[in-house]
Amino acid sequence: MRYYDKITPDGTKDLLFGECDQRSQVTKTLKDLFTAQGYRRVMTPALEFYDVFGRAAKYLPKETMYKLTDHKGRLMVLCPDCTVPVARLTATRLKGMPMPLRLFYNHNIYRMFPELKGKSAEINQVGIELIGGERLRSDLEVVELAARSLDLIGGGKYRLELCHIGYFKAIMNSLDVDEELKEEIRYQIEQKNYASLTDILGEYKDSKAARALLKLPRLFGGAEVFEKAYELFDENGAKESLDYLKGVYEYLQELGLGNKVIIDLGLVNLAEYYTGIIFRGYFQGIGEQVLSGGRYDMLLKEFGEDQCSIGFGINVDMASQKVKPMPESIPEVLVFAPDMQYMAKAVCHRRELESQGILTENCVFDTMEEAFDYAKMRGIPKVHLVGEDITICLTKKN
Amino acid sequence: MKPIRIALTKGRLENKTIELLERLGYDCTNARKKGRKLIMPIGNGEIEVVLAKAADVVTYVETGVCDMGVVGKDTIMEKGGTFYEVADLGFGKCRFALAVLKGKDLYEGYHTLTIASKYVNVAKAFFEQKNMDVDIVKIEGSVELAPVLGLADAIVDIVETGTTLKENGLVVAEEVCPVSARLIVNIASMKLRKQEIEELIDKIEKDIKKRKAKEA
Repeated sequence: MRYYDKITPDGTKDLLFGECDQRSQVTKTLKDLFTAQGYRRVMTPALEFYDVFGRAAKYLPKETMYKLTDHKGRLMVLCPDCTVPVARLTATRLKGMPMPLRLFYNHNIYRMFPELKGKSAEINQVGIELIGGERLRSDLEVVELAARSLDLIGGGKYRLELCHIGYFKAIMNSLDVDEELKEEIRYQIEQKNYASLTDILGEYKDSKAARALLKLPRLFGGAEVFEKAYELFDENGAKESLDYLKGVYEYLQELGLGNKVIIDLGLVNLAEYYTGIIFRGYFQGIGEQVLSGGRYDMLLKEFGEDQCSIGFGINVDMASQKVKPMPESIPEVLVFAPDMQYMAKAVCHRRELESQGILTENCVFDTMEEAFDYAKMRGIPKVHLVGEDITICLTKKN
Repeated sequence: MKPIRIALTKGRLENKTIELLERLGYDCTNARKKGRKLIMPIGNGEIEVVLAKAADVVTYVETGVCDMGVVGKDTIMEKGGTFYEVADLGFGKCRFALAVLKGKDLYEGYHTLTIASKYVNVAKAFFEQKNMDVDIVKIEGSVELAPVLGLADAIVDIVETGTTLKENGLVVAEEVCPVSARLIVNIASMKLRKQEIEELIDKIEKDIKKRKAKEA
C-alpha cells in the first residue's frame, strides 16, 4: 500500500506566511465591518450530523459531502455549508430570542469536487445572517453590506448582481409543463443555454410564459432590464417581484453604486432554496463568484422555526487574491545573552522592546559567531547582547 | 482595454470559427499565418485567440483565463463544468450514437452489457437514463475495434457519416443526441464585460440566422 505521509489530500493545501496574512487581512476587514454593524459571531462545529443537511439535499447534493460515522455508527458530514448550521442553531439554542438576530461566522466548509479541476475541498468562508427582520428593510441592509464588503476587499473593482427569484417563479407557475421539464428549463436558463432553451420551448411558443422564459437568460444589465422585464411578463406576482427588486436597485443607485450593480433575472440557481432576492459578487480576474447570498425564508421552517432570513457568504481564499500581500515583517533586534545566567534579563529586555513596538527575536544559538551569522542571514539589523550591561551591535553587511 | 480572449478548439472548429470571425469583419491574418503560435491577436487587437485541445477550452473558460470558447457539444457533455453555453454555432455537426455489430440484438439475454467509449460520462449518463447497469470500458481511440475484438457489446461514439462504422461491420443501434460546436462564456466575464461580450454574441447570432436562412 502507498504511504501518504508527505502530501496533503486532494483539494487541500498548506498556507505559508504571506498567504496566511492575506487571508487574515480579509477576515479581519470583514469581521470588523460586521461587528461595527451589530452582528455577533457564532461558531458551529466542523462536524455535523448528516441529517442536518438531509433536508437540504435539494441544494446541497449529497455526493459533494465528506461523510464519516461517529462511535455509534451515526452518519456525519464535514460541514459543507455555513447557513444550514446557523439555521439549526437559530431554531434551537436561539429559540425565543428577541428578533431580529444579526449573526456572523467564519468557518471552513468542505466540499468534494471532481478531480483535477483545481478547486479547493476546504474553503474558508465569512458571512452573515439577518434573521427575523422586516423583509425589505433587512434586504436593503444586507445587500448594502455585501456591496461594502466587496468594496473594502476589492477596492471598488467589483460587480454585484441582483435577481429576484419571484419573477422566474411567477413565469414558471404560468407554464403548463411537468416538474421534470421545469427543472430542465431552469437548468438551461442558469447555463444561459439559448440554443437548448429554444429547442425545449419551441412547441409552447404561443404561451406568453414560454416567450418570457426564452428571453430570461438575456435579461441582465442595468436599469433598462426592468423595462424589458415588465413588458415580457407581469402576471402572477411577476410585477410585484420586479417592483421589489427595482426598489432595492434604486436604493443602491442612491448610494452611488452606479454600474457596479447589475441585474440578472436569469440567476436561477438554487431556485428551490431562495424565496426572494438573490445576489452575487464578482471581482475582475477571478472566474467565479466570490460572494453569494440571498433570502431563504423556508430554511428555518425546516428546523421548525417560522422566521425569515437573508444572508451571504464570502469565499476568503478567492477574496484574498485581491489583497496585496504585505511585506514580511522582519525583526529589528536579535536579543542574545551569551552567558546563560542572563537569560531572564534578556527576556525582560525583550519585553521592554516589545512594549515600544519593536519586533524582536530570541537568539537560540550558543556562540557569538552563530548569532551574528544568523542575524545577517535573516536580515535582522541589530543584535543586543545582554550581560551585566546591554551592548547594542549593528549586524555587519557583507 | 484588455482584449476579449477566445479559446478555440484546434483543427476543424478552429478554421470554421476563424471563417465566422472573418465574416463578422475581423481581420484574421494573424490566425491564418500562425505558424506554431498558440495565442495571437486578431481584428484591431480587440480579440485574442487561444488555440487549445477541446477539453482544455472548457477548462480555460471555466477558470476564467479565457473569456469565451468554441468547443463541441461532445466535449461539454463529457467534461461538464460551470459556464454559460450561449450559442449553437451550427457547424461541426455530428451525433453521438450507440453502435453494435451488424445483426446483433443488443438487448437479447440477461447479461450485463459492456460498452466501450472514449466518452465514458456520456455513455454512463445514456444508460443511467435507461435505468440500466452497464460496464463501461474507456478506449482512447478507434473505439470500433472493441466490439470487433469481442471486448464490448456496443460502443458509444461520435458518428459523422457512418463510414468508419460500416467499414468495420457496425451499425447505429440508437441515436444518443446531436452534437455541434457551441459558444461558451465564463460566468464572471459575462457579468464584468457584459457589453463587449453581448455585442459579439449578437453579431454571431445574426450570422447564424443568415446562414440558416441560406440553407433553407
